[in-house]
Amino acid sequence: MNLYTFCYGLIHWLVDLVNNLWFWLGGHLPGALGGFFTWAGDLAKSDLNISFFAILLEVLIMVIIALINVLNFIWIDRKWMGRMFDFYGPYYVGYRIGGWLQNLADGIKLFVKEIIVPKKADRLGFLLGPVIFVASSVAALSTIQFSPQFGVLTSGVDTGVPAGVLIAFAFFAIAPFSILVTGWSSNNKFTLIGGLRSAAQMMSYEIPMLLVVASVFLLSGSFSFVGVVGAQHSVWFFIPLFIGFLVFLTCIVAEVEIQPFDLAEAEAELVEGWTTELPGFRFGLFMMTSYMRGYIGGALVVTLFLGGWQGPSLIPAELWFLIKAYLVFLVIEWMRWSNMRVRIDQLLNIGWKRLMPLAVINLLIAVALKTMGWF
Amino acid sequence: MAEMWINMGPQHPMTHGLWNLRIKVDGETIVDAEPVVGYLHRGIEKLAEARTYTQVIPITDRLCYGASLAWSHLYCTAAEDLMGVEVPERAEYLRVAALEMQRIASHLMWLAAYAADLGAMIGFIYSMRDREVFIDLLQALTGSRITYNYPRIGGVAHDAPPDFARDSLRACDYMEKKLKEYEDLYEGSKVFMLRNEGVGILSKEDAMNLGITGPSLRGSGVKCDVRKDMPYSVYPEMDFEAASHPDGDCYSRYRVRMDEMYQSCKIIRQAVTKMPAGKWRVVAPRNGPVGTGIGRVEDPRGEGMMYIVGDGTDRPYRLKIRSPIFVSVSAAPKLLVGYKVADVVAIMGGLDMCIGETDR
Amino acid sequence: MVDGGRGEQRREGIERPPSLISESPEERVIKALLEAFPTAVTDFKKLRQGVLRARIERRDLFKACMMLRDQQGFEHLSMISAVEYDTRFEVVYHITSYQNRLLVELITTTPKEDPSVDSISSIWGGANWQEREAYDLMGVKFNNHPKLERILLPSDYLYHPLRKDFKG
Repeated sequence: MNLYTFCYGLIHWLVDLVNNLWFWLGGHLPGALGGFFTWAGDLAKSDLNISFFAILLEVLIMVIIALINVLNFIWIDRKWMGRMFDFYGPYYVGYRIGGWLQNLADGIKLFVKEIIVPKKADRLGFLLGPVIFVASSVAALSTIQFSPQFGVLTSGVDTGVPAGVLIAFAFFAIAPFSILVTGWSSNNKFTLIGGLRSAAQMMSYEIPMLLVVASVFLLSGSFSFVGVVGAQHSVWFFIPLFIGFLVFLTCIVAEVEIQPFDLAEAEAELVEGWTTELPGFRFGLFMMTSYMRGYIGGALVVTLFLGGWQGPSLIPAELWFLIKAYLVFLVIEWMRWSNMRVRIDQLLNIGWKRLMPLAVINLLIAVALKTMGWF
Repeated sequence: MAEMWINMGPQHPMTHGLWNLRIKVDGETIVDAEPVVGYLHRGIEKLAEARTYTQVIPITDRLCYGASLAWSHLYCTAAEDLMGVEVPERAEYLRVAALEMQRIASHLMWLAAYAADLGAMIGFIYSMRDREVFIDLLQALTGSRITYNYPRIGGVAHDAPPDFARDSLRACDYMEKKLKEYEDLYEGSKVFMLRNEGVGILSKEDAMNLGITGPSLRGSGVKCDVRKDMPYSVYPEMDFEAASHPDGDCYSRYRVRMDEMYQSCKIIRQAVTKMPAGKWRVVAPRNGPVGTGIGRVEDPRGEGMMYIVGDGTDRPYRLKIRSPIFVSVSAAPKLLVGYKVADVVAIMGGLDMCIGETDR
Repeated sequence: MVDGGRGEQRREGIERPPSLISESPEERVIKALLEAFPTAVTDFKKLRQGVLRARIERRDLFKACMMLRDQQGFEHLSMISAVEYDTRFEVVYHITSYQNRLLVELITTTPKEDPSVDSISSIWGGANWQEREAYDLMGVKFNNHPKLERILLPSDYLYHPLRKDFKG
């Protein structure tokens, strides 16, 4: 039993429940009307329809779990930052659960704010940009698999989506486009510079990152989450591909745009970068989404290098995956709060002159390991 | 991309106050810059003309929120020069101790803002936490935390509280330990060095000619310090060095300020241990004579000067205030052109902007 | 400590003309000013250790400043103050020499009908904004200044508020 069969069964049961009424109506109503209900009931009962809704339900479940995790992440981030900075972090809202409700309070506060569109902004781009940002991140989120059984699956077999990791990276890479659109359409010089910075940054960090991902694919011989994690059964990939692991971690930090590389929203010189003009809940969504991307980044690091859901079977595989993702996130946050921000030319230098050769070396190591037949 | 003008300010995180830096950028490279000041002009020089000599002291406190004690002390030295008042020795030692505490507090505030500008919030929080130690000491000494109103013409307002010397010594020990921690935090960080070394280079000749003073000038390798050059108060009896660093870049200016904090700790130690007993205030005449007086001190931000003209009444006829940052900020085009937009925060932050004294 | 040991006061990196080391720097500056401008310089005085005062006619101000910078080693202009008196404006220049630890107070006078002196911002870059400030608040004009505009007050302001006829 995996998540797909569970959702399939649930949808099937629901459809049958409703179809009782539909077929009853189809039998009792006269003529074309009755025929319509019968036709609709048959359509709803079809396998295509049920699997479609089962997958939608799966996505919904994954996104809800992810959102709860994101709330956790924001809370952990604030507490962790507070401990590093010598203060308590969130404290009063949700006093008995360590200030966990502070995030919800902030969300409500942002939600009730007015949405202001600058008069000279490009309305379509301004309103659509953050939506693309959020939607692409949520789409990337829904591809993450917690275990062979738990994830967005398309059949009862526990193989997962065949090219799941590739799809995750594809969705992950849409964000700079939306940042550029938002930055340009806000009609503000700071947002424009922020958007352009983001585009340059993403472009130069995408390539070493995908080279590293290619080395992982080479060793595992699979594009799917299940295949990649399964290949790490004997040894986790961060041991043979240690260089690649470091490069990937750096690139993920740059892609997610957090502290040493958060040039697109450098608050010191660009006010808030490309989000300067974003009002109310759009800014809130952006904030949440940036944590969500941190979560995706952590999950991808875990999948590709840290053995995914593998671990002693004392605790379930899904929990192993989450624990590892949280640990990676903590490391990323540690980097974030103790580092300064690099400059744009230094950022590009690091990307092209340091990470790129390292990624190529890593790929060569992977090729060597593969040809020696060790993997 | 075509060249465009960007207004950084008056409301911008980089400004640390209220001023406007207009920069012309070609892509991300700055090709021209023009600082615009005056948003915080309160006419303190004019206000002083309508107040008696004593009433001016609280106004001069308002010149700079970071180092208000230095300014009221500067005013008092200028007024003492005009009136020919001899300050008792205990008052001088108290002043020196308070001034150096103020210098450390001001430099820590600079460090906090600088770290936050470069993106390390951790530096902001740590510096502000340790600044509290010295603010508390100054509160024990003067009774307030930001605008102290402590020096008087002919001495200081009150004597030191009991155990002031012990607390000061402990604070200095604490601070020196923490300064080591800061050095590890910043200089151990590759990113910090990347952002600072070779950024905003100012040659010795340019720095002197453009009128840049204080830590920024010493960061260009000029070893000059008003405390050494034209010693005032009891600085000649103190054993300290004017910190300087030869490179003239942002790192060099950072290094000078860090070294100055060590030297300040050293001065505080000497001042509180050598402090003689006795009077801490003499009564100054109500009316100033006809004539002029100058005060020239080493403010935490540079060379502070005041020029007082007295006309025989109880109010100053003219009070001219020389603000170090007012002159330094005029050198912004020279400093900024050729660097990136992100370097604006490092370069202008490295000058330790304080708008209260710039606009007066 | 300022008085003794002239040789020790030589700073790192700042070259000092070797022929002048023997003389007391205050005397040297006074002598040089008097020799160069025998009619223009009046009323010189040593105020205290390292601080000098001299009055100078405004026609020779620029040349005197040039000479102070180039021959006497005054690298830094500390302050420009404009003071209003009944019949005249005084513009007071405080000029500093780092290598000799000297501060010279040069006072020049300009009549009320024509309050103008020569700009020295081409000699010391630090004078630029200070002259603009003196123009803004006191209304003293500086000839040949590159950009003599208001600086602290709005550009459409009509008055010079530090003058005594402006009631604050």
